[in-house]
Amino acid sequence: MPDKSTMRAVTTIAMLLTMASALPAQNQPAATQNGSLAPYTAPIPPAGRLVAITNATIMTASHGTIENGTIVIRDGRIAAVGANVAVPQGARVIDGTGKYVIPGIVDAHSHSASEAINEGSNSITAEVRLTDVLRQDAINLYRELAGGTTTLNILHGSANTIGGQNAVVKLRYGLPVDSLIFEGAPPGIKFALGENVRRTNSPMLPGRERRYPFTRMGVEALLRDAFTRAREYQQEWKTYETARANTRRGQPAPLPPKRDLQLDALVEVLDGTRLVHAHSYRADEILMMLDIAKEFGFRVASFQHVLEGYKVADELAASGSGASTFADNWAYKMEAWDAIPHNAAIMAERGVRVSINSDSDERARRLYQEAAKAMHYGGVSEEEALRMITLNAAWQLGIDDRVGSIDVGKDADLAIFNGHPFAPGSRVEMTLVDGRTFFDRSTAHTLESVLERQAPRQPVTP
Amino acid sequence: MTMNDAGRAMRNVRCGGAMRALGIAALLTLAPALAAQNAPAPATAGSAGTYVVRGATIVPVSGPRIPNGTVVISGGRIAAVGANVQAPAGATVIDGSGLFVYPGLIDSGTQLGLTEIGSVPGPTDLQELGEFNPQNVALTAVNAHSELIPVARANGITTAITGPRGGLISGQVALIDLAGWTPAEMAAQPRAAMVVNYPRSRAGGRRFGPQQSESEQQEAMNRQVRALYDFFRDAKTYAEVVGRTEGRNGGRANLVMQAMLPVVRGEQPVLFDVDAEDQIRGVLALADTFGLKAIVRGGSDAWKLADELARRQIPVIVGPLTRAPAPDEPYDAIFANPGALARAGVKIAFQTDNASDSRNLPYNAALATAYGLDPDVALRALTITPAEIWGVADRYGSIDPGKVANVIVTTGDPLDVRTTVTHLFIRGELVPFTDRHTELYDRFRARPKP
Repeated sequence: MPDKSTMRAVTTIAMLLTMASALPAQNQPAATQNGSLAPYTAPIPPAGRLVAITNATIMTASHGTIENGTIVIRDGRIAAVGANVAVPQGARVIDGTGKYVIPGIVDAHSHSASEAINEGSNSITAEVRLTDVLRQDAINLYRELAGGTTTLNILHGSANTIGGQNAVVKLRYGLPVDSLIFEGAPPGIKFALGENVRRTNSPMLPGRERRYPFTRMGVEALLRDAFTRAREYQQEWKTYETARANTRRGQPAPLPPKRDLQLDALVEVLDGTRLVHAHSYRADEILMMLDIAKEFGFRVASFQHVLEGYKVADELAASGSGASTFADNWAYKMEAWDAIPHNAAIMAERGVRVSINSDSDERARRLYQEAAKAMHYGGVSEEEALRMITLNAAWQLGIDDRVGSIDVGKDADLAIFNGHPFAPGSRVEMTLVDGRTFFDRSTAHTLESVLERQAPRQPVTP
Repeated sequence: MTMNDAGRAMRNVRCGGAMRALGIAALLTLAPALAAQNAPAPATAGSAGTYVVRGATIVPVSGPRIPNGTVVISGGRIAAVGANVQAPAGATVIDGSGLFVYPGLIDSGTQLGLTEIGSVPGPTDLQELGEFNPQNVALTAVNAHSELIPVARANGITTAITGPRGGLISGQVALIDLAGWTPAEMAAQPRAAMVVNYPRSRAGGRRFGPQQSESEQQEAMNRQVRALYDFFRDAKTYAEVVGRTEGRNGGRANLVMQAMLPVVRGEQPVLFDVDAEDQIRGVLALADTFGLKAIVRGGSDAWKLADELARRQIPVIVGPLTRAPAPDEPYDAIFANPGALARAGVKIAFQTDNASDSRNLPYNAALATAYGLDPDVALRALTITPAEIWGVADRYGSIDPGKVANVIVTTGDPLDVRTTVTHLFIRGELVPFTDRHTELYDRFRARPKP
């Protein structure tokens, strides 16, 4: 681990420079209650100006594993990685002896850090934005960092056929909420198919009405209707732009079409600038979605859950869509009855780019263990399993030029384990985002540290 | 072909990676052997054959590892184990070189056989109406042919507690082996414990119902606690009357109270599904008042009372570890709880508290070893310790002669996700690794390119 006195000095100086107010001595998040908006108290880690992780086993996710390797970080980016890399003068050194370094985990399906998940009043809510409801104080963000996760695709829920716009964030826990946003990440939107959209599993509360669509047929019809309207709207704007460009001086300017925030988002889908992440389970609905996408000329960036993806792996591969699935969840509802833990392996084998996601604040703390299940069920390689929680997820989100592997030029988002990330006794020791240490177990509030501080308790009296 | 080849072939069907190497031709020749083994394993003791696992590293749990050892299984029992054991004539031989032999793993909390598909009410027999149902016996409702049971076996789970939930007294859990034609054949301890849900003062997580104020919640909890005390007091009184009159009182039997007799006599363990510290304190008080043989299950906060639990020799069934601690707890509280309990001298075992997820039992334990639980203690917590807690340590939980042959053969540490279970015996019968998932895997992996 790092030279503690050096680290402490660097941390102290950085804290003094960046923060005027007093901060707690420990890297300890605020104890927040569910639903409360307690102010965060995590110290802001020093910027990753010049950092070197030395003598570590580096699992790059892109070009194999480097034994006794060094990673040099400059200004938050990876400047060098390899077995024979010199440590620059003045670098903050993190001793990686006996440690494993992997790319920061990218979770392609999360609902952490959002104040609200579903605008479930309408089956098309393309106008709502997760970026409007992000919250920085969510304790889950810290806990996910403690599991090596550094990037999240925060999605709208699955109540609607066309849900809201996503937020891709980095877990810069402790910085102001706007700092969470992954700058430059392509925007996306959540689609959903199947049982959740039909709302057939939720109890019919008194006064609650059925909502269209109520069948998978209706879901298809709704999608076609929405994209037909979007196309017409797109054409109206094109016509308007052309007319405006051709307007001669002195002629009255043409009137613009009425701005429609819902259709604006769908036009971006048609233009290919907004990525579709489609919640799906059954093979039939996956094929339906592929057909709709083909009909309207866009690509589904990722099918989410896609638990029967293994049944239509060739069709998925041909479409160029990614698949982001659970490692082994099944049997929790009818449409998860044919889910098999070999799903990731079959899809990968047939050429689909697969990621394994959490869809859970809890599972996002141990996605490394979930990834190993792709080796267990269907025998994917170690590097492919690692890619399923790093590079492949980054690719599905259109940010693989920035994160997802340990390569020169990429953001220094890294997780340092005390052993092989897939081994049973391994845990995350340190997590870096942009070269900054946002989680460090050696100074973290752990159960062990509580027990050490704890005075002997009163005996229980019945 | 030796049994080992057949065993590996079965596993290869499950695993895929090596199946490619085998080739279709080899698979075709294997087909008859596979078909023969696909029949469900009869679990009647005595009907099982004789097997020898030779040249494996044996991890008996009850003693040190035996490198290059042999295990003989015969008539449903472990017949012999050691470094210098002769294989009996006519035995089916499994070449265990490079492999490991462990006792079958025990999941100390599931709903196996009582539920099939979460959202589908038809096959779900988890929660009875009403608050007090001590007369309900889980074993009665276990569907021996649930699709979830073979899936649980895939990672080496051979035995599990299955039981109801809900209300204040949910009913009686059963310890079952995960193979058999009928519930009775599966039973290892038919009435292993009585499930009691000690009330919780704060509703955890999100609530969808009408909002209650803190004092309303507290009052609701107090009412439930009083009801629980009243019920146990009634049961104690009933037991006294029955004891004094030796059944000659001429009174009518109360079958609900009858079911409580072993509980208030301190014979049948009481399984308290509790997590919060105040609940566990409540359990200790209740157990003291009525002289109960308490087991704490769930026990997220148990580390806060570890010394007390150790002093009273109350075991804790931990898990599932796949959940987040309360917002004001250390980030690793759930993962580190088992280690803290074990170091304080508390007897621990693991549960998944699930039916479809029981196969992840060893990976729950793995998370605990990453946060301070000794790996040997973790293995015991999946084998001999639950056998002790459920009162079957004379028959289960280790590789020792005379014990029921629930045995797994693996490629390595069962806690390691990368490990594969190559053979699994329940009551001395080699159970094939075919389940709903392997069948779908095989079918769709063979789908021709469109």
